[in-house]
This record gives sequence, C-alpha cells and structure tokens, in this order.
Amino acid sequence: MTLYLVKRLAVLLASIAVAGVVVFAFMALLPGDPAEIALGVNATPDAVAQLRRQFGTDRPAVVQFFDWFGGLVQGDFGTSYVTSSPVGPQISDRLGVTAVLVLGGMVVALVIAVPLGTFAAVHHRNPLGAVISAVSQAGIAVPAFLAGILLVFVFAVQAQALPSGGYVPFAESPGEWLRSLLLPWLSLGLVQGAVLTRYVRSAVLDVMREDYLRTARAKGRGSTGALWRHGLPNAAIPVVTVLGLQLATLLVGAVVVERVFVIPGLGDLLLNGVAGRDLLLVQGVVMVLVAAVLLINFVVDVTYHLLDPRLR
Amino acid sequence: MLKVEDLTVRADAVELVREVSFEIAPGERVGLIGESGSGKSLTALSLMGLLPEGVTAAGRATLDGRDLVGVPEGRLKRLRGRDLSMVFQEPMTALNPLMRIGAQVAEVMTLHGRGRQEARARALDLLERVRLPEPAHIARAYPHQLSGGQRQRVMLAIALANEPELLICDEPTTALDVTVQKQMLDLIAEVAPALLFITHDLAVVASVCERVLVMYGGRVVESGPIREVFTRPRHRYTEGLLAASKLTPRGTRLPTIKGSVPAAGHFPGGCVFRNRCPHATPECETAPALTGDGHAHACWHPAD
Amino acid sequence: MRGRLNAGLLVGGALVGIVVLAALASFFWTPHDPTFVDAARKLREPGGGYLLGADKYGRDTFSQLMVGARTTLYVGIVAVGIAAVIGAPLGVIAGMTPRGWLSELIMRVNDLVFAFPALLLAVMLGAVYGAGTLTAMIAIGVATVPAFARVARAATLQVMVTDYILAARAAGRRRPAIAVRHVLPNISSVLIVQASVSFAIAILAEAALSFLGFGTRPPTPSWGRMLQESQELLFSTPRLALWPGLAIALAVLGFNLLGDGLRDFLDPKLRRIRAEG
Repeated sequence: MTLYLVKRLAVLLASIAVAGVVVFAFMALLPGDPAEIALGVNATPDAVAQLRRQFGTDRPAVVQFFDWFGGLVQGDFGTSYVTSSPVGPQISDRLGVTAVLVLGGMVVALVIAVPLGTFAAVHHRNPLGAVISAVSQAGIAVPAFLAGILLVFVFAVQAQALPSGGYVPFAESPGEWLRSLLLPWLSLGLVQGAVLTRYVRSAVLDVMREDYLRTARAKGRGSTGALWRHGLPNAAIPVVTVLGLQLATLLVGAVVVERVFVIPGLGDLLLNGVAGRDLLLVQGVVMVLVAAVLLINFVVDVTYHLLDPRLR
Repeated sequence: MLKVEDLTVRADAVELVREVSFEIAPGERVGLIGESGSGKSLTALSLMGLLPEGVTAAGRATLDGRDLVGVPEGRLKRLRGRDLSMVFQEPMTALNPLMRIGAQVAEVMTLHGRGRQEARARALDLLERVRLPEPAHIARAYPHQLSGGQRQRVMLAIALANEPELLICDEPTTALDVTVQKQMLDLIAEVAPALLFITHDLAVVASVCERVLVMYGGRVVESGPIREVFTRPRHRYTEGLLAASKLTPRGTRLPTIKGSVPAAGHFPGGCVFRNRCPHATPECETAPALTGDGHAHACWHPAD
Repeated sequence: MRGRLNAGLLVGGALVGIVVLAALASFFWTPHDPTFVDAARKLREPGGGYLLGADKYGRDTFSQLMVGARTTLYVGIVAVGIAAVIGAPLGVIAGMTPRGWLSELIMRVNDLVFAFPALLLAVMLGAVYGAGTLTAMIAIGVATVPAFARVARAATLQVMVTDYILAARAAGRRRPAIAVRHVLPNISSVLIVQASVSFAIAILAEAALSFLGFGTRPPTPSWGRMLQESQELLFSTPRLALWPGLAIALAVLGFNLLGDGLRDFLDPKLRRIRAEG
C-alpha cells in the first residue's frame, strides 16, 4: 500500500508538471506581445522593449516557463500584464466560492442518487423502480445550465422565492449566502444526481446477485439488513470511481453555472480573463482547474485502494 | 426432528419441486441426489427460506415443530444460522470480500444474541474446529487471501457457530480440488449434528450419508438406506444412474439412461421419468406414489 | 438475443431521426430566413406562419431550431470522428500489448488528456485562435479521445484471450493483421455504442460552449446560444428558453437511448463494458 501510495503520488506530481508544460506552451502560442498590447499602437520601440524587460517576456520561453512554474510551486501565480495586480490572490479568492459550489452540488447529487438508486435496484421488478430509471435517464439529458434556467424560471420568476442570480458572501449574511447558492447547487446536483442514480442502481443490482448476500441471509439477516451491512459497502467501490469522474465534470459544470447565476467563482474569473486577454490569469486558472482534476483522480484512486482489501 | 410434507416449489405456473416428503432424525445424515434440474437445491433453499425472487414454496416443513414454510421472514430469519444452517456450493464468492474472516464468523453469533467479545473469541475456536491452521492469522485475513478449500472451511465454521440442529450442505465439495474434497467430506461427516447433503455424485453420498433420497423431475423417486438403494435399486431412474456411475461392479452391463433431462416444466405427466424409461407402459401415464417402508420407490415397474 | 428490437433503440432512433431530418430539411427549406433580423417582428407571438414565434431580433424560432440541428450534428460528427479515429487505434494498441511500454505511455497520456475537460480546451483554443465552431469541435473531440481509448482497450483485452485470437497468434499471424482482421471487427459494436454515448456528450458540450460564447459564432444559429440569448428575457418571454432547451434535452436523450438500445441490440454481453462519459 505504501509503495502504491508513493508511486501514485509520483504520477500525480509528474502529471501536474506535464500539464504545466502543456498549459504554458498553449499560451505561448498566443499571438501578440503583452508589452505591445499593454502600451497600445502608439508606443515607442524603446518603451516596448523596456516593458518587455519588466515583464520578463524578452527571455527565452524555457526560462519563462521555469520562472512561472517555479512561482506556482510557491503559490506565486505572477503579476497580470493587463491589470498589474498579482494573479494568485484573485484565484484564491474565487477558489473558495467554486469549491463550495462544487461540493454543495456533489452533496445534492449524493442525497438524490444513493437512496433513489438503491430503491430502484431493490424494486427493479416493479413500476416505481422503472419510473426512477426513466426519470434519471431524462435528467441525464439536461445540461446543468439548462437546469439552472429552468430552476430560475420556477423559483425566481414564478414563485419569486429565491434570487435569480448574484452572490452574497457568507461573512456578510449567512442566510442570504445560503439563498444565493441554493439554486446553483440544485442545478449542478440534480443533473449529476440523475447520472449517479443510474450508476448506484446498477452497482446495487450487481451486488444483489452476489453469493455473499445469500450467505448473510443464511446467517439470519433479513434481506434489508444483508443489503445494508454487506451489499452497500461493496456497491460503494464502483460508485466511488464514478464519483471522482463526476467531481471533475462538476468542476467544469460550475464554470457554466457561475455564468448563469452571476457567481464570482473561478469560471467567472477565467471567462473574464479570456475576454480581457489577461494571459497570466487564464494560464493560472486553467492550471488550477487541471491540477484540481488530477488531484481528484488521485484521491479517488487512493480511496479505491483503501476500500478494497484485494488491492491493498 | 426435520419433517417435510408435500413440499411443492413453483416459479409462476411451473412446478419445480412436487410433493416432496421426508424426515431427518437427530444425528442422521441424509443424502439428496439427482442431476442438475432435479430440484434438489430448490428443496434445500425452500427449507432455509432463501428461494430466489419469483419462486415460492408451499406445503409443510417443520424443525422440531417450528414451521419453515409459509412463515413470515421476520420469524424465519431467527432460525436461520441458529437452528439450521447451510453451506453453499461456491466458496469463492460466498464470503464478503471486504470483511475479515474473523468478523464474518463472529457476525453469525452476534446476530443471534451473543456478545461481541465472546463471539470474537469463539470464532477462533470454530476456525480451529474446522482444522484451519493458525486460526488467529486466518481470522485477520480477507477472503481473497485464502484458498477455495480454506474458504469452504470458513463457511462450515459459520454454519456450525450456533450449534444448529441441522446442517444443509449443497454440493460443498464440487468446486474444490479433488485432493481436498476427501478431507472436507470427512470433516462434514464428523462435525454435522444432523445433515442434509445435496450432491450429484454417488460416490460422495455413499461416503458421507446413511440414508439417501433420489430426486428426478422435482420428485423423490426412491429413498432408503444407502446400502440397499445402491445395491438393489428399485426405481428405473436410480438403476440407470447407478449404471452410469462407477459404483457398479466391473463386467455388469446395464442400460444407461437415454436422452437428457428435460427443461423445467417439460417433464411428462404421470411418472416424470417415463419418456426416458425403457420399461414405460401406458400405466405410467398415472403418477406412481412413493410406497414402501424403509426402502421406498415410486415406480409401476420396479427392478426385481 | 442478438438483433432484437427494443424500446431504447426505437425511441432513441426516432428522436435522433427527427434531429437528422430537421437538419437535412434545413438545407432546402426553412419557414423563414433564420438569420433575418426584422425589428417589426420583434418578440412576435407564435402563430401566423411563425409556429414558435420570433426572438428579440425578430428571427423565426422554428427556422433557427432547424438550422441549429445542423450545427449540433456537425459538431457531434466531427468531434466523435476525431475521438474515434485517434482513440480507437490507441486503445487497440494498448489492449494488444498490455504490458509493453507503449501501452503504458498511451494510458498515461490518456490520463493527462483526461485532466483537460472539453470546456477548458475550448477556452484555451478560443483564447489563442479565436473561438468558433472549429475550435469547439476540436476541443470536444480531443477531450473525448480518452473515453474511446479506454473502452477500446477494455474490449481488446477481452477479445485477446478468446480462442480465435489465440489460434491466429499460434498460426503466426502478425499483430497488425490480427488487429485489423480479428480485433477491430469484434470490438466494433463496443465502439458504435461508445460513439452514440459520446455524441450525446458532445451535444451537451457544444451547447455549453455556445452558451458561454466559446462555440458557434453568430449569426449561425445554435441551440446553446439561443438559450443564452433567452436568459435575460426569462421573466417576460420564457418560451424563448423552452424550445432550444427542449431541443437539446431531446437530442441528448435520443443519442443516450440509442446507445443503450444498440448495446442490447448488438450484443447483450456488452453490458459488462460500460461506455464512458
């Protein structure tokens, strides 16, 4: 297990480094010189050259990369060529908002999927189980931003019970914070919950056919008790894998949902950065999101190994 | 002690087991033989109340006067694992892969009211009783770390944990290597309180049991003491079964059974064996009853 | 059970069929010019030749939906095409040499690409080359490669231990020949199912990108952008969001059902290998 952990950790770090090269190389392709853009068309060549030196963009690309990546490792994302403000603090401000959005969405998804999927599996022969399957199939077809628009229509336009957008920081008013996040959480969670319901259902169905469930009943457990004690822990293993993939999907979904609800998260920052041609900002946000996906995969793999003694 | 009367098992309209009756006395070891599809496993599962979804049992079965068939699950589960228990055919998949062996053995005791500490300690004794080496080590292991034979011993330990009155074994050695089969059979014969032993293997049943029930097409077609049934079979199916096995003395040539076992629900009316029986006559269209004291058979034209 | 029609296949096929028909028909005929801006018809209510009404620029919603189907299919076909052409061969190679360095390299790169979701790739490509249908298609396609490679690898691993492959190898057939003659035909049904599922995901991704302004650019109609344009009018004219939303959901549902249906139709054993998102 320790060996596996060390190896897996090495893969994680290597992947993040390679991802850094990819992101940097991509952004290096960007046409236009940050110094020229910053100074406008009427700038003198001297002034441009001076600003280039100041930005450090006159150095070879390899040097620039190590400068940038070395900074990242220490939490320094560089200073924006456009706004002249440091990128790091902007990202860390927004990261919390996106993290709360994604985790809340995941909780909604789990609260929906685990009971419904289990119920649909246990009652796979009766109509209600089939209805759950059909509803989850339909839910998968709805993108998160469409779910968001529908929710706004129902809860903000029709019922006028919740705000249609905007974000209130927790420190300002916990109640309003909650109200401003409810619809975004639901938009992300309902759709992912629909996807997850299908996986939970099929995982529980697989487990229900296992011999050890019959053994548990032969010991004197009822069928529900056997499913709880022996079935669900085993069903959790494949579900955890899907959960990891979904977290990555949610992270991306959050970018779009932030746009729908005007929430100042990483996605909003990224899109603003692209619109303002803020190279270092885009580079930084993309890097954080990619590293987050890699980290999630790492955690899932390790969890998987912890849950299953056959892999320990 | 165990008393089964007119046990019938159905899946929808198809009768898979029909009017099976037998008894097992305390300490008695009874074999139930037949080919796959004869209904022997379903008979055992219906006694345990573990029939698959969509399959139902009717009739009457009692263990020391307590009903086993047509009883609510809540009452049945208090008997399972305590008064009667079962060892299944496939040891590789019968244990929960995520739980340590010791915990899985202890579970059957805590479920029936024993304290956690006591159950843990007793689990080690049980592992020793089924002759597993280093019980303390095995208790900490996970199923995938054990061999098939070892896992089947663990299943046996679980089955014996609460000192049941009856042990049911469904082909417990079929999935094991030939070399460990014999040890396992000796162990079962030694530790079983009273035994219902299901197998398709005549040699196995002869080495473990005192009495045998022969099933075909969901019915008991012959029953009696092993020695009598095997040396002087009366039912033509038993006769064919013995002829096909190696138990008959060299040189004797008896006709083997022609054709193959029909699918469930496709057995003929009357005597279920008549479409494969060389001695069938129109009389066989009426179902024969299982008659005879001690050595009974259900056949209109029994062998001598 | 091979070849039995099932509900998923029929319903999914019908929904996909409607989208395809609408897209094909739009080449020859739409009720109105979908891009024609007319202030006089601004937010016109449904009726009188405008089946579903008009948007805030006076463009006919129904005509826009028809041409939008074209965009959706176009992006889906190219993206899934890219993913299949790159992903499937890589998966087969990795599956045929499960312990080789090449297989290890392919799967590692795969994992890395997997960390770049379609949306991020599209935003990066858009930042460099300017966002448009082409960058969206390439981004979605590249991001879908890992799913194809993984499924192809899993299926190849299963096929490689079958008797006919062992026989072909024993007969001294070379690996490329085995791959083309034996492996590909036998994993084709897995790939077809994956294509259908990936198509559904590509539609979702295209809609999200267009919604964010990183997909198809105006004036070409796209369901995702129709939704984005409708959002500010949600309080006054919710129908503008309803129709493109419904179109996206039904198209995705159609391809998902088609995928499930094909899986059962082509080979029930395939349930073991699940298509990946």
